[in-house]
Amino acid sequence: MKIGIYFCKCGTNISDKIDSEKVKTGLPSGPSELSFKTIDFMCSEDGKESLEKDIKENGIERVVVSACSPRDHENTFMRVLSKAGINPYLMQMVNVREQVAWVTEDNEKATEKAGRYINAAICRVELHDPLEKKEIDICPDVLVIGAGPAGLKTALSIAESGRKVVIVEKTPVIGGMPVRFEELFPNMECGPCMLEPVLGDILHGEHAENIELLTIAEVVDVVGSYGNFTVTVKQKPRYSDIHKCIGCGECIEPCPVSAKNIYNCNLSERKAISFPFAGALPNAPFIDEAICLKKKGYDCSLCKDACPVEDAIIFDDAERTIVRNVGAIVVAIGSDSYDCTKIPDLGYGKIPDVHTGVEFERILASNGPTYGEIQTSQGAAPKSVAIIHCVGSLDKEHKEYCSGICCQYAFKFNHLIENKLPGAKIHHFYKELVIPGKEDFHLYNHAKENPNSTFIRYNNIETLAVSEKEGKKIITNSADGSSVEADMVILCPAVVPTVESGKLGTILEATHDKFGFFEELHGRMDSTQSKIKGVYLAGTCQSPMDIQKTMNQGMAAAGYILSGLVAGRKLEIKPITAVVEEDRCSGCRVCVLVCPYKAVAYDTEKGSSVVNEVLCQGCGTCVAACPVGAIKGNHFTNNEILAEIEGVLS
Amino acid sequence: MTAKPKLSMYWAASCGGCEIALVNINEKILDVDAAFDFMFCPCLLDTKYKDIEALPDGDILITLFNGAIRTSENEHMARLLRKKSKLLIAFGSCAAEGCIPGLANLTNKRDILKTCYLDNPSIDNPSGETPKPETEMPEGKLCIPEFYGSVKTLAQTVDVDYFIPGCPPEPHQIWAVVETVLNILQTGAPLPPKGAVLGGGKSSVCEECERKKEDKKITGFRRTYEFVPDREQCLLEQGVVCMGIATRDGCGALCPKVNMPCTGCYGPPEGVLDQGAKMVAALGSIIDIGDLKGMKEDAIDKKIDEVISTIPDWAGTFYKYSLPGSIMKGRVA
Repeated sequence: MKIGIYFCKCGTNISDKIDSEKVKTGLPSGPSELSFKTIDFMCSEDGKESLEKDIKENGIERVVVSACSPRDHENTFMRVLSKAGINPYLMQMVNVREQVAWVTEDNEKATEKAGRYINAAICRVELHDPLEKKEIDICPDVLVIGAGPAGLKTALSIAESGRKVVIVEKTPVIGGMPVRFEELFPNMECGPCMLEPVLGDILHGEHAENIELLTIAEVVDVVGSYGNFTVTVKQKPRYSDIHKCIGCGECIEPCPVSAKNIYNCNLSERKAISFPFAGALPNAPFIDEAICLKKKGYDCSLCKDACPVEDAIIFDDAERTIVRNVGAIVVAIGSDSYDCTKIPDLGYGKIPDVHTGVEFERILASNGPTYGEIQTSQGAAPKSVAIIHCVGSLDKEHKEYCSGICCQYAFKFNHLIENKLPGAKIHHFYKELVIPGKEDFHLYNHAKENPNSTFIRYNNIETLAVSEKEGKKIITNSADGSSVEADMVILCPAVVPTVESGKLGTILEATHDKFGFFEELHGRMDSTQSKIKGVYLAGTCQSPMDIQKTMNQGMAAAGYILSGLVAGRKLEIKPITAVVEEDRCSGCRVCVLVCPYKAVAYDTEKGSSVVNEVLCQGCGTCVAACPVGAIKGNHFTNNEILAEIEGVLS
Repeated sequence: MTAKPKLSMYWAASCGGCEIALVNINEKILDVDAAFDFMFCPCLLDTKYKDIEALPDGDILITLFNGAIRTSENEHMARLLRKKSKLLIAFGSCAAEGCIPGLANLTNKRDILKTCYLDNPSIDNPSGETPKPETEMPEGKLCIPEFYGSVKTLAQTVDVDYFIPGCPPEPHQIWAVVETVLNILQTGAPLPPKGAVLGGGKSSVCEECERKKEDKKITGFRRTYEFVPDREQCLLEQGVVCMGIATRDGCGALCPKVNMPCTGCYGPPEGVLDQGAKMVAALGSIIDIGDLKGMKEDAIDKKIDEVISTIPDWAGTFYKYSLPGSIMKGRVA
């Protein structure tokens, strides 16, 4: 075998320390024929040309490049090898610049070290296999799970590029949480109005035909991997046709039954056929089959009788199973609020007029249960309101993290209470105040300047207790014996993962962090990618965040998909992956769970583990774990690594 | 009539189980006798060393050499039989990997002699004598083989053609090797490549174990005296250190079949350099110590220690049969 060793001087960077002549004379004599050449700057155009020429003219079969870090120029020289007509993986790069010349002071020692590294590379490169990249066809369509701000932002961006998007939303309404909020921090914009352009474009915009919206639906199965997922969705019946229905609402009044409206936090009633709230989109009501008389078998069709559009109400609508192929999946299922009954002394669920932040948002909303009037359970306007921050947040007993949004909406509440109830006292009980950002101090300043606002710091939520005396709520702090009276108490609970998060994670094989949020690939560099290639995270399912960050993550997910998954372009699979020798695999299944990318699975029919080349990143974890030695790491085989070690030591 | 090819079997540092295993092929031993001149086996036949020394080199077709190399006598016989045999086969775990005698490499010659001849409560040794190769006695010089500083495998001593794993090799596998040899003799088929492991599989014991296997995560280890393991589920998944995952198949998964963990006697699977290291790598990959996010390093260390402290006798568990043949070969300091 003819091995070409190319020693880059890198100007004086390498040649000042390492004596290339000594390295050359110290080369081992082995079975291979060695050719040693020095090049001044191998990465220069001249350098690359002379490398290519030498390989071609001298019939070089394997290449050792002694130069800089492979991080710098491995790809550069691999391309030269390809141009010279040999497989680019038949090269081994030796980093004699960063790892020798720049760090070893003594010239003789540096020369010896370089010689040993080059010898190791020679021993290794003799064993290299020619490896080929593979290409597979991809589906450029995208599944977005969750129709909140993050999901809709992603969906719209993808649709605008001409791609097909399937949106799966578990509720009958799109827009997520902010469409239920009258005004949003920090600039007191109306929630539904701010989101309307996005919602409108999703439903009727220029690219709406690229979007398939499935409401009251959930993903029940996902198979395949990046580029080629097959997704099964179960859609429950809405009993109305969102395309035929004109949203006039004529059907609602005649309906004879009603129940608590969960979209108003159970603070009001809702008919069996209804909109979740006024202005909810898509603009078509839905029937709650749990209470509808017709669905219970009674002979009632009052809603259908009142409907001016033929076939807009469909009593025999049924559950559908929908299967779609997509190349990428965006998880944007949002978050939930911490269960305030877990801190029982705060009285939530027991004492009237103790509300969560979301409930208060609905109370403030003009389409909410009180049409925007702040009222106590007695129907009176409260003269004082206590807002308890950090309910479960920043608390080792509950949730250790800061939820990041509560201070902001608490000060928003301050502003709105001040407007709606002039002169009302507002007491902020807080553990910490967190209000970073260039826009976000206004509401805080406003609250500070409000003469009716007081700020009371507490150390531990467990010392706070809410009790009721003659209609008044009394908030006591047992730590200092203080107490404050209020007519209404608003709790700002920690932001927590939704109950669906766990189940969906299992379906997607996407991991969760210790709090139950979807786990990102990297907290700083890649918070929008999950650990599963092709599954992206957007919004508060990944971490508590405000709408700005949510929207950014939605766009980031779209960016990953648009750049990585291009229609008409094949997906390139790098050959440095793990390969299972199927006839030697014993089926012990040690390897399956060790893979951080979920690339290894056990195939019951084959009786062997299999590695999905699309997902495999070539990390070698399964190779080390396989107790039979039946998994080979391409380009890092045991023999290659052992030869390299022996080369250094000999 | 041409003479039958010669077959010999020798024991070095071993227990005699390999000979038992050979005769456990039962009536098929008659076929062996029909095909070979079984001419040397100190356990079964009264052939003397000098008879072997008198043979021309390469006169024996096959020697099944069991036992590790512990003494100068073991080494002498290994060299002698190598010279006299066309094919030298390391038969059984002691010859192939060092096996139980090889666990002595966890200590040293001085401590072994001290334990056996000085500290042993059943020995009365007032003059503190320990065995030496030569001892002057009133009756004359007493010569015994030298006790070496460490145990070696056969291949660490002489050139070995093939290996048959097992402690002891299973009779059906011994017979399979005999059949292969007979076939080669009759048909002139090519020999297996030199250095090959005969009488074993290419995978691990799990391949032959019929227990139900799942994706693995282990939160702690238990020993079989502490509970009665479920007979259907993989023993390792029940927290029993079953070496089956890192042990060559071929035995028929005998131990797991009777609800006992594999202890690894068939040695490392094909291509695995170090059985103990491989087992440790595999266990390290599947031990589940829970969520570590945000935990301090010493707290993580403590959690790991809690789990691995439930494995008794690490060297004796992971290297029970393979210590001299492993990368470390024994105690290094």
